[in-house]
This record gives sequence, structure tokens and C-alpha cells, in this order.
Amino acid sequence: MQSSFQSTKMFYILLAIVSVSSLYFVVPGVIIAEETPQTFLTHTGLVIKTTGEVIDPIGYDGEALDFDPDKFMKEFDYGEISVLEDGTILREFYITARDDQIMEISPGVFYNVWTFNDSVPGPTIRATEGDLVRIHFTNEGSKPHSLHFHGIHKAEMDGVFESIGTGGKFTYEFYAEPVGLHLYHCHVHPVEEHINHGLYGAYIVDPKEPREPADEFVFILNGFDTDFDTENNFYAANTIPFYYQHHPIEINTNQNIRAYVVNILEFDAVNNFHLHGTLFHHYPAGTDTVPSGYNDMLTMSQGDRQILEFNYKYPGLYMFHAHNTEFSEKGWVSSFLVKENTDDYDTQVEYDDII
Amino acid sequence: MMTSSKPVLAISAIAPIVLLAIMIVFLLGPASTFLQFGVVLPEVSIEKIEFIENEIQATVRNTGPIDVDVVLADVNDRIQPAAIEPDTSLKRFESALVRIPFDWNEGQPYEIGITISDGTRFAKGIDAAFPALEPNVDLFVFLGMIGFLIGVVPIMIGLLWYPFIKKLGKNTFNFFLAFTMGLLVFLGIDAVIEANEISENHLSSIFNGELLIATVVILSFLALYGIGKQLTKKIEFSKLSQGLAISLMIAIGIGFHNLGEGLAVGAAIALGEVALSTFLIVGFATHNTTEGLAIAAPLTKSKAKIFKMIGLGLIAGVPAIFGCWVGGFSFSPLFTLIFLAIGAGAIFQVVLSIFQYMKEKSDILSNTSLFAGVSAGLIVMYLTSVII
Repeated sequence: MQSSFQSTKMFYILLAIVSVSSLYFVVPGVIIAEETPQTFLTHTGLVIKTTGEVIDPIGYDGEALDFDPDKFMKEFDYGEISVLEDGTILREFYITARDDQIMEISPGVFYNVWTFNDSVPGPTIRATEGDLVRIHFTNEGSKPHSLHFHGIHKAEMDGVFESIGTGGKFTYEFYAEPVGLHLYHCHVHPVEEHINHGLYGAYIVDPKEPREPADEFVFILNGFDTDFDTENNFYAANTIPFYYQHHPIEINTNQNIRAYVVNILEFDAVNNFHLHGTLFHHYPAGTDTVPSGYNDMLTMSQGDRQILEFNYKYPGLYMFHAHNTEFSEKGWVSSFLVKENTDDYDTQVEYDDII
Repeated sequence: MMTSSKPVLAISAIAPIVLLAIMIVFLLGPASTFLQFGVVLPEVSIEKIEFIENEIQATVRNTGPIDVDVVLADVNDRIQPAAIEPDTSLKRFESALVRIPFDWNEGQPYEIGITISDGTRFAKGIDAAFPALEPNVDLFVFLGMIGFLIGVVPIMIGLLWYPFIKKLGKNTFNFFLAFTMGLLVFLGIDAVIEANEISENHLSSIFNGELLIATVVILSFLALYGIGKQLTKKIEFSKLSQGLAISLMIAIGIGFHNLGEGLAVGAAIALGEVALSTFLIVGFATHNTTEGLAIAAPLTKSKAKIFKMIGLGLIAGVPAIFGCWVGGFSFSPLFTLIFLAIGAGAIFQVVLSIFQYMKEKSDILSNTSLFAGVSAGLIVMYLTSVII
């Protein structure tokens, strides 16, 4: 009788221990309220009042970026220039591939990027039609990589069947042709993976007779699948989601703008580009001198490029973004801040005589 | 020899613990780098999603083996600005509240996601957005009424079978006791399945829901077995009849069961997971009426007073009201699971008690009435469960 009473007591104690210890998991973490809740205005115009922290992909609070979209969009690599005996201009480029870097691709999100010259996208290679382009490629990555350029060149310069192993070097050489906006990327299998991680860049071949003067920007439409489910978690124009929405690109009314738009998005078959407040003339792959249309929408499949030319009539803040709003709500949303041009600034391209 | 054995005994008790502690320190310390292999994956569970005016609130918990930083929130896989309280960093087991300003639409399905610093996204879907219930007197009364309707009323109705069962012959009476066993076995299995559903849908895998259910069921069974033994012993010296003791045990077991059931129903109301129709209440009520029968059956061989029966009915039924309140105001999947499991263990213990009682009371236990009773009980419960 005594022992059975003891055992009953034991069960009570056991039950008490079990129930008390379960409280540890059940009771939500103790929230220590700060004295004054702070109020934040989010980028969607909503107001958050919180004692905690705000998680909003709005920018970097002045902290240095691993990648600067403002700098990237206006930076062109013309190479080291020399003139060959026959008068041909030789442009030499040095490109190094790596695959060990971690980059903050969106505030707080750290992703293993694979890079050409420590950047995603790689440098914008620019040459003039007929130039000899020589690219000294070094692979400092742990995996084989290569450089595959779009354009006209010999098969052995195509960078597809000859992947460059760790520590390997290769010199790609070809004449810059044809005129247009092209693309280069790593073509090592699985290509999708190498592109998703960031091994790509724009390649521009200018016509011998230069295009009309304009302010030029490069927009590489890219994305990142950060959880490897073959769906992009982030979309952007130039890598950083929502960047130009919070850092609008400042231009002027009646200022001619030329945008080099490259779609290198993986996983999604189609990307697009929609401009607010004005329309653009567009040149598919930039190969023709006659625009193929006057529109505010561009639909681009994987690897497509377009050159856009436009200007703004009225000042103000104008958005440009993917009209596939899923992409825009995951970062591919940008804006131009158009200021009133007080100078008599007449560099407007006259298309009337071309069409 | 006897004198020296005490310290030796103490050392032999403590030594393994000390050695184990040293081993753990070694494994976590010097050996941790040596033993590291494989990839450690983070895990975050979204435990609760609530819809309030122009805002969606998600309670998230770090249920993985490493600390994480929550850096983004999304609604339907579209990035949304949000706040997180108290802060973005979540240590193991730590939870936080993610508040997403969002103009949601009632009745529409939503998926809420969060992304951590390595870009991994975790999400949880809600079938239909439903405004979070505001804790006020109206809700209190409403939940209490639900608990009363599904717990207390049906049991009281079931108790009304008492005069009928009392007039039965020995074999028929045994049939009804066996019938009760059938009912209870069904209830016990039902509780385990329900607990398992909660474990699958609401509890993160780190809690090992299935094993927790098994552990709690067995603990509860053993605990009530001990209590039952005590009670039976006391009865020998008191005027309490054994029948009443069994009824009391049944009432307590069913009480635990109804507490768990109430928690589940309250939570379902609060989370907007069920459209709580009168039909559902009717189903629950029908189902639970059999519980009253189970309490009444053992009482028939003793002189039970009416208020004692009412008391037993309340012991069994009132926990449903408390369950609805607790479940409705602050749903905890873990508590619901634990109470359902306690109920299951208690009920299985009661089945054993009834069986022993029948064996004692009957000179020759009729297999026919036992098997027929248990089978009938199971079938009746199954049929009433189909109505729900």
C-alpha cells in the first residue's frame, strides 16, 4: 500500500516535470517591449508601428554595397587598346572567374555568387565593329568555367566544348561583329546553375559610324534562386532588388536616353520591360539601324537583348519595371527621376528621317 | 562492509553522470570541429498566422539546429515590407512576431513566407483568411456556449439512459458495460489520431509529435492506473461503491478527452479553419451523448444519487468549456496535443478498469455479451463520427 502510494506520487512528479518543461516550448518568446514604438513608412506607402525591427528591402542605410548598380549601369570596359600593323584596333580584356564569393544581394540576404572580375554581372565589354577582341581568361574558381560570347566567331572561340579547369587560362580572340548588343556567359554544364550564380555580362559592338549621342545605361535583367527550387526568389535590373526604386536614376526632360537591356533571367521563360510616361524605339539585339517598333512594352525570352531609345517630355518620377508583376514585386522595379531641362538641350534623335 | 557501501553507492550513482558530462563537454568543445560533417540546415516554422485589420501577423519560431536571421517577409511569394518583434535574429527555439501591413481579403487563401539570411524561404498556407477573434466578453460567452453544447449537454442527455440500463438483466448489463468499453476504445483511438493530425499540421518536426503522443499516452495511462488503484483501496474503507469509483475514473478520463477536444475546437474557431455550422455542433453533440452512457453504465449496480450523477457529468463535460476558451484565445498546438494524449491514456486505463470490474462481478463472464458489446460500441461511435 505504501509503495503504491509512493508510485502514485512518482507519477505526479513525473507529470509535473513533463508539463512544466513543456512550457518552455509553448510560451512564446518573452517580448520585451521598448518604451516607444517607432513608426516606419514602407516602400509600398504603408505605415508600420513597431517596437521591433523593420524588414524591408529598401536599401542599405548608407552602408557600402557589395555591388553598386549606379556605377555598373554607366561603366563600360573598352579594354586595353593598341593598333595592329594592318591598322586594326586590338582590344585586350582580362577576365577572371571565381566561385567562392558571398555577396549581399538584397539587404540581409547573403548568396554565393560566381563572378567574372568579382562582379555580378561581369564587366560590360565594349568594342567597335571590326576591332580585334582578345580576352585573357583565367579561372580561379573551384569548378571549370568558360566564356561563351554571342556574335560571329570561329567555333574554337565559342567557349562551349572547351571548359577551363581550376587555375586554367585561355585566350579568346575574335573580330567584333556584328554591330549590336550581345551577351557573354559561362557555358559549362549545368549552364543554368552557372548563370543563376552570376556568370554573365553584356557585350556591345558599336557601329563604326557612332550612334547618335545619348546618355547610355546598361540594364541586365537578372534574378537569383537562393533556395535552389528552380524558381527565382529575387528579380532585379542590375542585381540588387528594388535598388533603382529607392535610388531613382536622374535624367532630364528631352535628354536622349539609350538603354542596353539584356535579359539573362533563368527559370522564367519570359521577362519583360515596361516604361512609364513615355515610349521607346527599340532595336532587337541592336543589330539594325531602323527601330522595329515604338512601344512601352518589351517581351524578352531568355538571352534576348534590346536597345531602347527614348526621352521624356514631362518631369517627374516614372517607374520602369517588369509588367509581369510577380517579378516587379520581387525586386525588378525601378524608376527614373526626370528633371525639367532648363537648357536648350537639343540632342534629340530625329527618327522621322530614318523610318 | 555496510558502512563503506554508502559512499561507494553514491559514487557509483554519480560517476556515470560525471563521465557523461565530460563526454558532452568534449564533444561540444575540442571534438566539435573534428566530428563535423554534412551540412547543417536551418529550419524556421511558421506556427500561427493571424489576420487583423490591414495587417497579417505570423508567429515564427527557429526550430532548426542553428541560429537564423529573418530578413524578408512575403505574402503569396511577393516580397512585402514588414516588421519583426522583438528583432530579426532568432536563436534556437526562439520565436518572433512578423507583422506585415497588408490589405487582405476575407475568405481568400494566402501563403505567408519568410526568408532568412542565406536566402532560404519558409512558407505556410492558410485556406481562407479570417479576421482574428478579438478577446472580448462576446467571444468568451460564445466559446463557452460552444463548449457547453458539445461537452456538458450531450453527456447529461446520455446520463438519462441510467434508469433504462438499471432495469436490465446481468447479461444485458454486461453488454452495456462492454458497449461502453467499445465507445471508450474508439474515443481513445480518435484522440490519438486527432493529436497526430495536430502534430502534422501545426507542430514543427523538432518536437517529435508522434513520440510525444506515445510518451504522454503511456504516462497518463500509468498515472491514472496508480490513482485508480489508490481510489479502489480507499473505497474498501469508505461507503463509496466500486461502480461509482469506475464511473468517476471514466468521467475523469472523458474530462481530459473533452479538454483536448475543446482546445481543438476552440483553436479551429479562432484560426478560422472551420466554418462552424450548427450541423457540426449537432454532430459533436450526438457523438458525445455516448460519453454520458459510458458514465452511467457502471453506476447501475449501486445506489447513485442524482446530484452525484450530475457531478460526474460535469467532471466529464465542463473541461470542454475550458478547452474552448483556452484554444480560442491562445492556441498552442503542443498543449492541445498533450491534453488529447492524456485523454487517450486515461481512456485506455478506464477500459482496463471496466474489464477488471466485469471480471470481478461476473461469476462467468459471458464472451458473447463482451464481444457484442465492444463491437456495438465501436460501430456506434464510428457511425456517429461519420455524421460530424
